[in-house]
Amino acid sequence: RLDANLISVVPEKSFEGLLSLRHLWLDDNALTEIPVQALNHLPALQAMTLALNQIWHIPDYAFQNLSSLVVLHLHNNRIQSLGSNGFDGLHNLETLDLNYNELLEFPGAIRTLGRLQELGFHNNNIKAIPENAFVGNPLLQTIHFYDNPIQFVGQSAFQYLPKLHTLSLNGATDIRELPDLKGTTSLEVLTLTRAGIHLLPRGMCQQLPRLRILELSHNQIEELPSFHRCQRLEELGLQHNKIHEIRADTFGELMALRSIDLSWNYIQFIHPEAFVTLRSLTKLDLTDNQLVTLPLNGLGGLTHLKLQGNPSLSEPFPKESFPKMRVLEVPYAYQCCAYGSCSNFFKVSNQWEAEDMSPEMEDPHKQTMELFPGHTDNHYDLDADDLQLDLEESKLHPTIQCTPSPGPFKPCDHLFE
Amino acid sequence: VHSNVSQGCQGGCATCSDYNGCLSCKPRLFFVLERIGMKQIGVCLSSCPSGYYGTRYPDINKCAKCKADCDTCFTRNFCTKCKSGFYLYSGKCLEKCPDGLEANNHTMECTSIVH
Repeated sequence: RLDANLISVVPEKSFEGLLSLRHLWLDDNALTEIPVQALNHLPALQAMTLALNQIWHIPDYAFQNLSSLVVLHLHNNRIQSLGSNGFDGLHNLETLDLNYNELLEFPGAIRTLGRLQELGFHNNNIKAIPENAFVGNPLLQTIHFYDNPIQFVGQSAFQYLPKLHTLSLNGATDIRELPDLKGTTSLEVLTLTRAGIHLLPRGMCQQLPRLRILELSHNQIEELPSFHRCQRLEELGLQHNKIHEIRADTFGELMALRSIDLSWNYIQFIHPEAFVTLRSLTKLDLTDNQLVTLPLNGLGGLTHLKLQGNPSLSEPFPKESFPKMRVLEVPYAYQCCAYGSCSNFFKVSNQWEAEDMSPEMEDPHKQTMELFPGHTDNHYDLDADDLQLDLEESKLHPTIQCTPSPGPFKPCDHLFE
Repeated sequence: VHSNVSQGCQGGCATCSDYNGCLSCKPRLFFVLERIGMKQIGVCLSSCPSGYYGTRYPDINKCAKCKADCDTCFTRNFCTKCKSGFYLYSGKCLEKCPDGLEANNHTMECTSIVH
């Protein structure tokens, strides 16, 4: 271990004879260059860190004799440029950490790293990810490149990465279409927000059979394809787009879909059959759209429903439509009255405002205990009978947090009926 | 600086508090959270304890746990000594060596077959 010293130069013969050396720590020193000559004599080296130095460039063939190297950390340096053959010779490299540097261009030299599994180059100054960017890295499982000013992504950049499970890109404003993900069949999480996507390809789900989370908020999407083939989809984020309708087949047979966020779109029409097959759906956000009516078919399992900001949606929602509802946001106060007498029923207090109630909170008895934490010395001096009564009552009508809650100036009756 | 954070600390602490031990370390030392009964207190070490690996960052040096099957490691995904019952091969701990390699029960590693 040579870490945390003031080493600025590593003489050529420093490691001569160390034919069995496997792990080298040179991090937290004052190196301004890769000690290329000194590294030429380490055939058994498997893991090396040169992190936290002042290295500004990686020359061609910098690591050419390190054929056993598996892990290379170069994070927190000042690397701006990289020879196109900079990583030649690293035949066994699996982990490459280039995070927190000053790279201006995509590190194309990675194309020779055929066994690379983990790649990080987040917090750099890279503006584009080129076509076929990872064509030489079919084993890649994770790529971290957030906090780069990425504007452009080649259509073929993320193709043929069969082991990649997460892809997230935010703020790449030049992207007009979803990248082609042919051959990247293990993707589970796809996040592509704040770009310029206006069209989703019809066959996108065929390429993404294992997708669980799709987050496409803050784009320009007007029309949705059928997500039918995204059979494992659990979460769908489409807020802040330009969607104007939901068809019958849009969410066809997505049995695992739990949460849909369609807030801040222009949705005027939702087909009556749109939610029918969504047996796992518990959260639906349609805030700020242009709905006139909401088809209730298939929404019986909802615990969270948000409809505020739909001024033409004035119909009342019968209580039977949402037997499991816990958090309901509606355009008008009178729509809350269907959930019990308006004045004394609604308990809006801190512990009920938490949107995401954990499953164990579902047990009314447990909830009641939560209401009076450490109830023995709590100032809520309920005696046993009251407590029992309250417990019985909460079993029948678990409190639903409905807003806007009615009051003197927000009467239960619709004034204009 | 918060009222009960004192400067006059023990060992390698840069700042500490009576109740939480070290809050930050002097340069080059690694910050570790040690569990003592119900409490966790911060300590500063020159290297990480067994079963942990160190990562240096500009503002802090941290220790993190190796994988469950690993005794000592370079990073979480690269083991340097496996727990008993496992063989080490290219940074991984395997219950059985891959084809073409043989298990060396002395070094507990998978090595090339010598003909």
